[in-house]
Formats: sequence, C-alpha cells, structure tokens
Amino acid sequence: MMLAPRMRPVIAAVAGVVVFAWIVGQQDLWVRALSALFPGSVRPVYPAATVAELTLQHLRLVGISSGLTLLVGIPLGIWVTRPSGADFREIVSASVDFGQTFPPVAVLALMMPILGFGLWPAVVALFLYGMFPVVSNTVAGLEAVPGTLIDAARGMGMGRGRILLAVELPLAARVIMAGVRTSVVINIGTATVAAAVGAGGLGDPIIGGINVQNMAYVLQGATAAALLAIVADGLLAGAERLLTPRGLEA
Amino acid sequence: MITLRDVTKSYGEVTAVDRVSFEVPSGEVCVLIGPSGCGKTTTLRMINRLIEPTSGTIEIDGRDIMDSRPEELRRHIGYVIQSVGLFPHLTVAENVATVPKLLGWERRRYEPKALELLEIVGLPPAEYAEKYPRQLSGGQAQRVGVARALAADPPLLLMDEPFGAVDPLTRERLQAEFARIQRELRKTVIFVTHDVDEAIKLADRIALMRAGRLEQYDTPETLLDHPASKFVHDFMGSDRALKRLGRACVADVMRTDVESTTDGTRAIPREACTDSRFVYLTDESGVLEGWVDCRVLDAGTPPEDAGTPVDWREAAVHPETTLKDALSRMLGFGFRNVAVVDAQGRLVGEVSLAAIEATMADADTHIANLEEGEVLGALPDEEARS
Amino acid sequence: MVALTGCALLPFVEFRANRIVSGEPESVLAAGIAGWVLVAFVVLALAGAVAPERARGPLLLAAGAGSGLALLWALGVAAVRLQQGAPAIARVSIGPGAWLAGLGALVVWFAGTRATGSARVRRTAGAVALLGVAAVLMWGGLAELSIAREYAVQSRRFWGLVRQHLVLAGSGVGFGVLIGIPLGVLASRNRVVREVGLGVVSVIQTIPSMAMLGLLIAPLSALGLAAIGTTPAVIALTLYALLPVMRNTFVGLAGVDPGVIDAGRGMGMGRLQLLVRVEAPLALPLVIEGVRAAAVLVIGIAAVTAFIGAGGLGILVFQGWGQQADDLTLLGAIPMVVLAVLADISMRGLRRLVVSPGIEEGAVS
Ligand SMILES: Nc1ncnc2c1ncn2[C@@H]1O[C@H](COP(=O)(O)OP(=O)(O)OP(=O)(O)O)[C@@H](O)[C@H]1O
Ligand SMILES: [Mg+2]
Repeated sequence: MMLAPRMRPVIAAVAGVVVFAWIVGQQDLWVRALSALFPGSVRPVYPAATVAELTLQHLRLVGISSGLTLLVGIPLGIWVTRPSGADFREIVSASVDFGQTFPPVAVLALMMPILGFGLWPAVVALFLYGMFPVVSNTVAGLEAVPGTLIDAARGMGMGRGRILLAVELPLAARVIMAGVRTSVVINIGTATVAAAVGAGGLGDPIIGGINVQNMAYVLQGATAAALLAIVADGLLAGAERLLTPRGLEA
Repeated sequence: MITLRDVTKSYGEVTAVDRVSFEVPSGEVCVLIGPSGCGKTTTLRMINRLIEPTSGTIEIDGRDIMDSRPEELRRHIGYVIQSVGLFPHLTVAENVATVPKLLGWERRRYEPKALELLEIVGLPPAEYAEKYPRQLSGGQAQRVGVARALAADPPLLLMDEPFGAVDPLTRERLQAEFARIQRELRKTVIFVTHDVDEAIKLADRIALMRAGRLEQYDTPETLLDHPASKFVHDFMGSDRALKRLGRACVADVMRTDVESTTDGTRAIPREACTDSRFVYLTDESGVLEGWVDCRVLDAGTPPEDAGTPVDWREAAVHPETTLKDALSRMLGFGFRNVAVVDAQGRLVGEVSLAAIEATMADADTHIANLEEGEVLGALPDEEARS
Repeated sequence: MVALTGCALLPFVEFRANRIVSGEPESVLAAGIAGWVLVAFVVLALAGAVAPERARGPLLLAAGAGSGLALLWALGVAAVRLQQGAPAIARVSIGPGAWLAGLGALVVWFAGTRATGSARVRRTAGAVALLGVAAVLMWGGLAELSIAREYAVQSRRFWGLVRQHLVLAGSGVGFGVLIGIPLGVLASRNRVVREVGLGVVSVIQTIPSMAMLGLLIAPLSALGLAAIGTTPAVIALTLYALLPVMRNTFVGLAGVDPGVIDAGRGMGMGRLQLLVRVEAPLALPLVIEGVRAAAVLVIGIAAVTAFIGAGGLGILVFQGWGQQADDLTLLGAIPMVVLAVLADISMRGLRRLVVSPGIEEGAVS
C-alpha cells in the first residue's frame, strides 16, 4: 500500500494508541509481568483498581481539563489578536508568561485552599495550567501570519471571519497544535501528581506503592503513565503534522 | 605572484573546475568572470584551501599552498565575500582586528591598524569603530568587510562578488574606492564577478570561464578587441566601444578651469562667458546649485532668467565616474557638458562630450578593424569545437 | 480583571478556630479603610487596561503595585482585627478572594512592565514596590496571618528545605548544562546525534516526572545505587534539564549565518576557534534561554522528588496535603513559585548582561 509520507507518522501514532489500549486492557499481562519481575512479592499488582480503570480515571481528568483548556484557550488567544481584544493582549500575554514559570505542583497546591480535595479541584488546576501554552502558542501562531497575506486576502474581498478561517487559522494551525500538545503532555504529568490530592488515576499506584514500600505498584503505575504520555504525545504530533498546510511542510 | 597549474575540482560526476591554469603577477587585479555556475567561486576558494583541489597545483610566490596548514595560509590571504559575513556580536573595530588577533598581534599594534583601515575605506573611526554590524548599511558593511580583509596586510586578496549585493549607485562608489585603495596598496587581487562592466573597470587581467574551463585570460582591451572565441565575443557584449569607456574615468578627461560664481545669475556679465559656454552657480562652500548657459545670455535673455537650478545628485558626475556612465548621463539629459562634483557636491570641474569623443577615436579604429572582419573572421568555429 | 473583581465577591479571609478546621468567611471590607483602598486600585487597573497606549504602562504599574500593597495591608488589618481576643491556636487564613486579588495584582504588574517602554520608569516602579513590600512586612500585621504563624512554627526546617530544593534543582540544571551543551554541539555537527539524541531526549521529556522517578527505581537498584532519595532525584532532574539545554544549543548553533562561518574559516580560524569565538557567542542567547527554561522546569519537578524522599519544598506540600493543612501546603508552594520566578528573572538578567549588544535584538526565544 502506498502511503503519503505525511500520513506515516499519523498511522504510526494510531497504531501506538491501539497497542497501548490493548496492553492496558490485559490485566493478566500486568499480573504475569510484575510477578515475574518481583518474584518475592506477595501482591505484585495494585489491588484497588485495574490498570484499565486507573487509565480511564487518568484520561477523564486530563480529558475534561484539556477539553476546557481548548474551549477557552484558543478563543481567548484568537480574541486578543482581534481589534476588539487588542487592549487585553498585553495583560493576557503577561499572565501567560508569568503562569508558565509556575511549578505545576504549586498550581495544584494553590488550588487546594480554595477548592479543597478531589477530582474537581484537580480539574480546575490542570485546566488553568494547561491554558498557558495553548494561549501563548495561539497568539504566537496568529501573529506570525504575514501581514501581507492578510492584506492580500482583504484585497480579494474576504471578510474578517473568512480571513480568520481560511487564511490565519490554517497558517497558525501547526503552532497552535504544538501548544495543545505541550499542554496535554504536561497535564498528563501533572495529573499523576494530582493523585496525591485525591484525583485518582495512574498516580495512585505510584504514591500508594511508595507509601507501603511496594515497588511493584510503583513500577506498574509509572510504566502505564509513561506509556500514556508517550502515546498521547505521538498522537498529537501526528495531528500537528496533519494540520500543517501542505505548502508549509519542511 | 599566484600560479594555478591544471587545477581541477570534481564532485563525483560534476567537474566544477577543469584543468584551469593562469598566473597573476604581483600587484595586479585579476577578475574571474563567467556565467553562473562556471566555477569562479570554486576556483577562488581553492586558493585559500576552503576547497581542496582534486588535482593540479597552486603556488603563491613559488610556494605550493599545500605546504602550509590551511588556517595559517588563510591568515595571510584577505577574503571578502558577497554576504560580507561580519561577526554580528563584535564591533566594527573588533571585526577588523580579527585576523591580527588570530596572528597574535598585541593590542597596541592591531588597534591603530584597525582604525587606520577604517579611515582608508572611508568610514571615520570616531563614528564607526564602536558600532555593531546591524547598525550599518549594506555598503558600509562591505567597506568593513574590505577593511577586515586588509587588516593583517596580506599580499593577496580574494574577493567573491564583493559588491554584488548593494544597489547600483553604492556599487559604483565602492568600485571607485576599491580602485583608489588598490592604486595605493598594490595588492595581488583575485576578484570574482559576473558583471562585465565591473570586470572591465577594475581588472588588469580578466579570466573568462565557461563550464569549468578557462576560455580566455588577458587584458580587458584584448578580450574586447581580440576575443578568442565567439563565446568570449558574445559574453563581453556587442557594445565594445562603450565598454572601453568603462576603463577610463571622468578625472582623466575633465577640465578643472571652469567659471563659477557664488553671486547668483544677476552678477554674471557677458564678458565672463568668453572662455566657456557655462558658468556654474555654487553656494559659499562650493556646492553646485545650478548653471547659466552663456548662449542664452547672448540671445538677450535677462541674466535673472538665464540660470538653471539643478540638484547635483542628479545632474552632475563625480571624478571617479566612468566615461561610460558619464556619457550615458549626458545623453540622458541632452547636455553636451556636465559638471563634475565631489562626494559632497562641491564643483571640481566639467567634462564635455567632445573630450569623451576624443578618447573614443582610439576605440573607433579598433571597431573599424573588427568590422572589416580582421578579427571576427579569425574566430574558431563554435560548432566544430563542440 | 476578572480576578481582581472576584476578590470583592469571594470570601477575603477566613477565620478558623484552629489549624485544621474550616473557617468562617469574611469579606474584604472587614479590613476597613485598607479594603476600600484595595478596591480603588482595582478600579485604577481597569482604567489602565483601556487607557491610551502611552499612559497604559505607568498606570498598570501603579495599579499592580498599589493593589498588591493594599492587599497585603488589608490582609494584615483583617488578621489583626479577627485575631484580637481569639485563642492562640485560632488561625486567620487567606481566602480565595485575596488569592485571586493577589494573582490579579501580579498579572497587572507584569502587564505594566511590558507595556512600559522606558526602563527608568520600570526600575523606579520596581524599587518603589519593593520598598512598599518591605514596609508592610516591617509593620508586622501580616505576622498574624495563618501562613506566617505556620512559618513561625516551621521556620528552622523551612530554610533547610529551601536550601535542599535549591541544591536539587541546581544540581539538575548543572548536570543538564554540563551534558546538554556538549550534546547540543555534537548534534549540530553530526546527523546521528541530532536525530537519535534529540529524539530520545524529547521522549524523556514527555514522561511524567512521577513516573520517571518510579521507572528509575528498578535500574538504580540493579546498579546497586540508592533508588530512593537524592540520587534518583538528581538523575531525573538532569534528564529533564537536558532537552531545553540541548535543543536550544543545537538550534542556536544551527541558526548561525553560514556566511559568517565561511568568513571565519576564510580568515583562518580553526574549528575550535570558530566555535569559541564566533558560533558560541552567536548561539548564546538561545543557550541561556534553554538554561532558563530548564531551571524553571526543574525547580517545579524538584517539588515532586520530595515524595521519594529527596527533600525540598515539596515535603511541605505533600505533608500539607496529607494532614489537610492548607497553611503548610502554601508554605511549600509559595516559596517554590518565588524560586521559579527568581530563576526566570535572573536568567533573563544574565542574558542581558552577557549577550553582545550587537545581537541582543535579533535574539529569538
Ligand atoms: N559542494 C558541491 N557539490 C557538488 N557540486 C558543486 C559543489 N559546489 C559547487 N558545485 C558545482 O560546481 C559548479 C561551479 O560552482 P561555483 O560555485 O564555483 O560557480 P560560480 O561560477 O561561482 O557561480 P555563481 O556565479 O552562480 O556564483 C556548479 O555547477 C555547481 O553546481
Ligand atoms: Mg559564486
């Protein structure tokens, strides 16, 4: 089968997702592998939930927060590059730059006194923290579109909305997508830590394992979390590639 | 003296330079010219070993360049390129001092040298020494590039389209200054260009290349008058008489005893016009502001209406302007005379069509010869050759 | 803006009978005059946002600094008032409204520094703000706040943890620079290092920090090294610091104008001379930017290493979560933010200091 070169990483990423889903679904596989690696251990597998359940919890946390991030972050980035939002461009960029220096753990920690423990405070923290790369890349991507192109589009009689949809967003898509990718990958990482505030997910076996000195749990959670992050990164990299207009490909 | 013997450079199948041999006597300017891709840059870069020849030898003053370390060799050869390549993080003075520093000169030796060179290339050190390259115009940057190449006083200078990236006016100025500096310093120069006019203006000898091979190596006059092949003839262009005018400049034929006044048209008595047809009007510092055509005065026009105000930037030429450019300027304006001003616009003389015609008389005989077929008839047959 | 106005609607401070129980909300106006001053500055910030270009910067700077200081003042006043006559173990903690106000003040301040063209105005405003903060701290009202009381309890341990945090992050960045810069240089010369090296380092970067610490346990134990504590922490931090440093070094070197390199070679520079005298200074802005990113990143990740016993401010955060003691958590989190911001600011300062003025403008980040 002939594949366009640009489709290859996408196919690879999708294949990665399928393989990952299969591995996560095979609880037996985990039991056998961990038993083999930790022959002395009585209980080599985290008992409270299966790997699949933990992964779904993790994905729920990341999915909700990253979904909100995209819903708010991209429109916000677009808005401050329009004339109506231009006055807020400085403030938004400043907050975003400042926010990006915050340690993710600190953001999680600062949310706790306000929102308490559990899933939702973690969602809010991840949502906020994930905004920074998305907004910053949306603004950067849109501002990098050459003014001459926009002029040309205007000269051809396109309205503002058409120019945004047909010229600016396609040209900025790769940069925006790179921001989304950074944001999601960071969120997957921070979500692991969020297990410590009761948000569940793949951080549970890691933290639980450290607490009860069971390294098998730690390895179980760490492997699954690392695979999840790598697979998600690959998938988003594929999307980044797909969203790049053909003419801009390297 | 530079000697190339059967120098060849191949990249796999492609032969970029094919058995090229020529010799450049010390103190002369050799211009390498030819169509794009003919191997000029490759030839040049083999001389300072930025490219290693596949075969053949290159000698500088009888010493094979392969006998010295490439770095050592390059420190004694000035190198100027089209993209200039100034170091953006260093000031102009530091850029110029690069090679002396590499050679281990002491500060008290290289610093005055750098400043002196800036002065020579026409950039007052007080103003430019501490600037950074991004604060310079293209022409200024290229001057710094030339100063930098001259800093360690190398006997040999390699220049690859040094004036290729600047606007035509700036290029003309840079060429004139290069000619002036070369008259003073007498370096051995190998200069790459694909501009025939530039080659004719600057070269003592021209090496015309084609597809890696040397077509003809001789003085510009010989290339113009006795092309060795139809290719040389075509490449040098059909306007050879005009091209020859590119070898001389206004300073060679202008007269300096011109009438001028700072008092405006009113004060000009008819008697002032006895000697010359034009009286030039200048301000107190001598900057050209206009002229009066005496024949208009003779025709009875009141003096206050006889003056023609002009802007020296448009309607005058400089001493270093080539006769070719001066002629084209005069034809363009429909003048038979044109004022000569210095870089600040101060009147220094006048050049007339008659004076230019006198130099062309020489050329005419050559052209007549050519048209009689004396040379053309002797051209090798192109088709038979290839 | 939203954050600033939010402070008026949400509880400003909370009064709690002791360290753990949840508290009773109080509005910002509990702080009396100070509260009203704060509200006034919020209005000023709103005015600043829509002010004409030229006045915007100074207005925002004034509003940011003013509302920040007024906030601290108001907090102090409220704390002193609520604490009067209350038992010694009672706590007055900072409420969501005040948090949002503080965040808003910082944002407005940073927007102000960006919108202000003149460096002198910026520096003056910075000095005034610092003096203001010092004055509020000297006044002592803030010592009545719960977080300050928490600090009073933890003070001896606190500074030890700060130092530990800095040592952890410093070693990570240090090793990251020592390994990452040579790798970046190699990547610019060699295709295999570029493709494989950068690929591997980017994959490492995507692995969640907690997972990385977990994954290091097995190989480290196999090597007979401590799987828990400082060693794995420093290894993990080094691995994370690698990508920004290596990639920026590579990108910086790859971005050097080929004409400049040709000129350098043509003048007789050797490979090393070319690297040291030409390429390195030109790549420097990006390299420093990479080190800055690595420092900020690693200070954040060092917080996570606390849970494998490496110490640092993360300990306070994790203990705070374990005991549901918000003040303890904040005592860990806030200094962490301060460290990250200081690292960010100092690396930007370093960049301005060491990068040649000839290329400062052209620097990309
Ligand atoms: N590194 C290389 N590998 C393969 N071919 C090369 C290489 N460098 C040059 N060439 C080829 O050698 C020939 C001569 O190149 P060179 O750069 O010397 O030409 P040039 O006369 O300087 O042209 P221009 O006027 O365009 O600068 C060209 O056909 C070019 O494609
Ligand atoms: Mg060339």
